[in-house]
Amino acid sequence: MRESWLSRNLRHHLTAWTCGALVIVVMVIFLAPFVWMIAYSVYPSTALQAGVPDLSLTNITLDSYGQLFSDPMFLGPIVNSVIVGLSTTVMCMAAGAACAYAIARFRFRGRQPLLLSMMTVQAIPVIVLAVPLFILLRSVGLYDQLLGLIVTYTAFILPLVIWMLVSFFEEIPPSLERAARIDGCNRLQIMYKIAFPLAAPGMAATAILAFITSWSDFFLAKVLTSNTAVTLPVKTAAFQGLFAMDYTSAATAGVITAIPVLVLTLVAQKWIIRGLTEGAVKG
Amino acid sequence: MAGLAELGRKRETRFGLLLITPAVLIIVMLLGYPMGYAIFMSFQQWNDKLGADHRAIGLANYEQLVSDPAVHEAMGLTAYFSVITVVGGVALAISIAILLNRTFRGRTIVRVLLLVPWAVPPVVNGIMWKLIFDGSVGIANTILKSLGIISASVQWLSDPAATMNILVFAETWKLLPFLCLLMLAALQGVPRSLYRAAAIDGADAWNTFWRITLPNIRGPLMFALIVQSMWSLKVFDTIYVLTGGSGGPAGGTTTINFLAYLTNFSNLDRGYGSAMAVGIMILVLVIAVFWILVFGGFNRKRRAADA
Repeated sequence: MRESWLSRNLRHHLTAWTCGALVIVVMVIFLAPFVWMIAYSVYPSTALQAGVPDLSLTNITLDSYGQLFSDPMFLGPIVNSVIVGLSTTVMCMAAGAACAYAIARFRFRGRQPLLLSMMTVQAIPVIVLAVPLFILLRSVGLYDQLLGLIVTYTAFILPLVIWMLVSFFEEIPPSLERAARIDGCNRLQIMYKIAFPLAAPGMAATAILAFITSWSDFFLAKVLTSNTAVTLPVKTAAFQGLFAMDYTSAATAGVITAIPVLVLTLVAQKWIIRGLTEGAVKG
Repeated sequence: MAGLAELGRKRETRFGLLLITPAVLIIVMLLGYPMGYAIFMSFQQWNDKLGADHRAIGLANYEQLVSDPAVHEAMGLTAYFSVITVVGGVALAISIAILLNRTFRGRTIVRVLLLVPWAVPPVVNGIMWKLIFDGSVGIANTILKSLGIISASVQWLSDPAATMNILVFAETWKLLPFLCLLMLAALQGVPRSLYRAAAIDGADAWNTFWRITLPNIRGPLMFALIVQSMWSLKVFDTIYVLTGGSGGPAGGTTTINFLAYLTNFSNLDRGYGSAMAVGIMILVLVIAVFWILVFGGFNRKRRAADA
């Protein structure tokens, strides 16, 4: 009796240990590549090319960051990405919040199909739209213009924004809005004085997701810009030519491109995890 | 009184329509119209290398699509890439999710850190793996050499098969955490009482998984398979960066989506390229329907078994 208890206890501990070790292995695999890229950006390449990489802390240098941030050819794309990202987010939130609020609160015909179509258009492969968008933007003089990218991103990200916001608005108890109505608020006031503040955390997370999506995009920026409106991912990708790659600069550009997304993600992690998984688990 | 309510409802509808108009306009203008235009272009002879004129040629582009050896090769590569990343990725995600669903210290922080690969922009993902598998400075060679697995540096990214496998690995690395979070959320939705009942009935871990866990997460599972299939079909950024925009070496990573890009923007064959893109869209649709049918059949069979 006592022996079997012991062995069961031992087995329990063994399982816990194995699982713990596995979790650590999984997390190392998920984190190491990125950490290694940071190492690439701060160690001189001579320290890394030796048989065994020399990772002593005294070798660390931020020279490559200084170099990139003083290079106007790199600063331009950063500024472009910030402008495009922020403008896209503002436009997505303005148009998206209004649309999502209407879908969540008003009973009009076509409401359900509208919400469903927001889900479906997200499935359209970007490649289908790339050439027509390129031709369209060129014909109205918006090719290689920040505005061209902004309206394109807005259209691409809006369905996701609306989809997420509808679920946040539906969570607000309608009784609050009814009370505000009795107090004499009109519909517009109810929307931005009651509903929006109550959904603020969800809206902030949605805005962050919109920003991240536009910031990270490479394909559309590659196709719709050539020179003046080039964004950071396009510039970063250009750091690795087919031949002669400047590894330290490429790694540095990679880290600079990734850091804002990482920071925003960690800030809003709770809401992002919810937003990403909720639709699937509910449906 | 009824008339007043009627009036109120009408005004409400009008206000609602006003609110949705900007968003719907933007989406129709920049998604709907281009999509229609792409379908129109796919029926045209439209090659900007040959000149500005274009004319309707019926189904010729689609006929070419079916018989083009380059398309066949790209489809083969796409199938290889997609089957591994979709089936392997989702299976791996369920395993990791089950591992992470246990109670252990640091569970919250682990879950947050899972967002790191998800947050890394695809272009940066490509650079990251290119740095790791580079022939002269890559850490992969250093590690493998010190373990004695290889004796001399390998030029991984000069070998088509190796590059494709690195691509599979890189994409899985990036997308797996999202799938894990999805599966983790799904697992947490399975009622604990079911597991207790299974334990009382003496079910082993394997049986518990197939009879309790899997049937109870089939909705999220279907979602994960559909979403991952779409991602796998449209993989682009990582290929572009890993191969310097070539889809090489020797076309070894030119999946169907990348081939459509090259056709449209390198060969400037917009008509044929559009047909290819529309083909991809149809493929996405077919695969989504396929998963829905697979799971629909599964549901029906269960219901029949329950009855």
